[in-house]
Amino acid sequence: MILDLHTHSIKSDDGRAKVPNYCQWIRAREIPIDGFVLTEHRQFDAESDYSSLAAKFDLCILKASEVETEYGHVLVFGVTDALLSAFDFGDIHLPLKRVVEACAAHGAVPVPCHPGRKRVGMQAHVGEFGVPEGIRIVEIYNGGSRDQEDQIAQTMANELGYLGIGGSDAHIVSHIGRCATRFPGPIGNTAELVEALRAEDFEALTFRT
Amino acid sequence: MDIEALKEEFLHKDFDEQTFEIDADDVVNFALACGEVAPRYTDPGHPDFQAPPTFASSFQAGRRMPEGFPKIPGLGMDAGKAASLKYPIRPGVPLVGRTHLHDIYLKTGRSGPMTFLVMRMELYDPDGVQVATADTSVVIRERPGK
Amino acid sequence: MTINQISDVEFGEELPVFTPDTSLDNVRRFATAAGWAGPRFTDHEAARAEGLPGALVPGIMSQGFLAAMIHRWAPESRIEKVDTVFRAPVIVDQPYTISGVVTDIDEETETVEIDLTVNNEAGETRVFGTATVRIATPA
Repeated sequence: MILDLHTHSIKSDDGRAKVPNYCQWIRAREIPIDGFVLTEHRQFDAESDYSSLAAKFDLCILKASEVETEYGHVLVFGVTDALLSAFDFGDIHLPLKRVVEACAAHGAVPVPCHPGRKRVGMQAHVGEFGVPEGIRIVEIYNGGSRDQEDQIAQTMANELGYLGIGGSDAHIVSHIGRCATRFPGPIGNTAELVEALRAEDFEALTFRT
Repeated sequence: MDIEALKEEFLHKDFDEQTFEIDADDVVNFALACGEVAPRYTDPGHPDFQAPPTFASSFQAGRRMPEGFPKIPGLGMDAGKAASLKYPIRPGVPLVGRTHLHDIYLKTGRSGPMTFLVMRMELYDPDGVQVATADTSVVIRERPGK
Repeated sequence: MTINQISDVEFGEELPVFTPDTSLDNVRRFATAAGWAGPRFTDHEAARAEGLPGALVPGIMSQGFLAAMIHRWAPESRIEKVDTVFRAPVIVDQPYTISGVVTDIDEETETVEIDLTVNNEAGETRVFGTATVRIATPA
């Protein structure tokens, strides 16, 4: 099963994609993914229910978050009410240690995204703050990467022994599926996604040309 | 910076009103520079002569910020523009633009910590009919190199 | 193909790519007409003194390029909304491509949604956005 693990909708301040349009696009253009995860900036979209849309298009649509720490941006998979109470998702100065500990306590998985990016990527901060504890996975393919950002991410992942995921970081409809992650089995809900990430058996994919 | 307090004090309150006269030559130059080829934007003699829709994005408030809004240090730049058109903007028909602060938020990006201010200008014709809405997202970031 | 009515539009259709004129002369012409003739848009040296990589194409000019692309594709269309995010600077005298692709068609309201991008030579997206465009059936 292939999921795009990093997408934004109009719920994000800079997102311009409507979720139904993502679904139409994936099916009409035969984008080779089976679903996607909405990772809205600095928030968790608790209110939207995409289950009927998912059923209509036979796609897996899940929700997660992208939060901001001193090590850069971090995707958080497996957001629960308890996790939402553990730290302020809107804070742009979250200590990564706190995010990692809260994820561990509440069954979530933190994944630093676009780690090769200046300022908002983890690699830029490892020299100053050291290698963070509790990170097992980073995003090694990001659809919005420029220059050598993905290469820097992959080098860092290799050196530090991290596993890699892929996500498009789509903010408009036509950018979905540029990068994704392949899992060996089916995933139908957030708990199964978290379980699959923890099983550490997946492969980052890029479809960028 | 207490964003919530700033929102409470400044959001959704008009802080500027300007009247804009639209000049036909400016419309033509604006349109041609953008690469427009449709005569309704480039030919003042066309019966439906009007400004390209993005002309609405060019209007600037007289005051950049509401009175009493704290100065945020850094380099300010446009981070986005949105224009919604209900009716065409036509030379010779003055528009009144009323501006309010629509949103304030913080985020981090490739250039570091950033403050975003979203200004909304509502444009009205002389009959008081709303013609267009133009949103401007201004990002204030640390100066490059710092 | 020129689009004259909503039934001409195909989902996923790519608008003809448009190469904008980002020369300093043209940007000056635009900036003067728009009332935006600040040195950061009209003078490379002044822009560099501000810490910028060179004179900038104003964001509203990039938005204007995108609108022009839509009008070239569908000459009688009316843009109801155009919403653009300026992700990275667009620099004067450098080449860019202006692209659009149809991501939704609503036959009832006779509107289409279009994804918009301004890319540099390296294929990096500098500006992205969407437009809602009405393509009314001719009377």
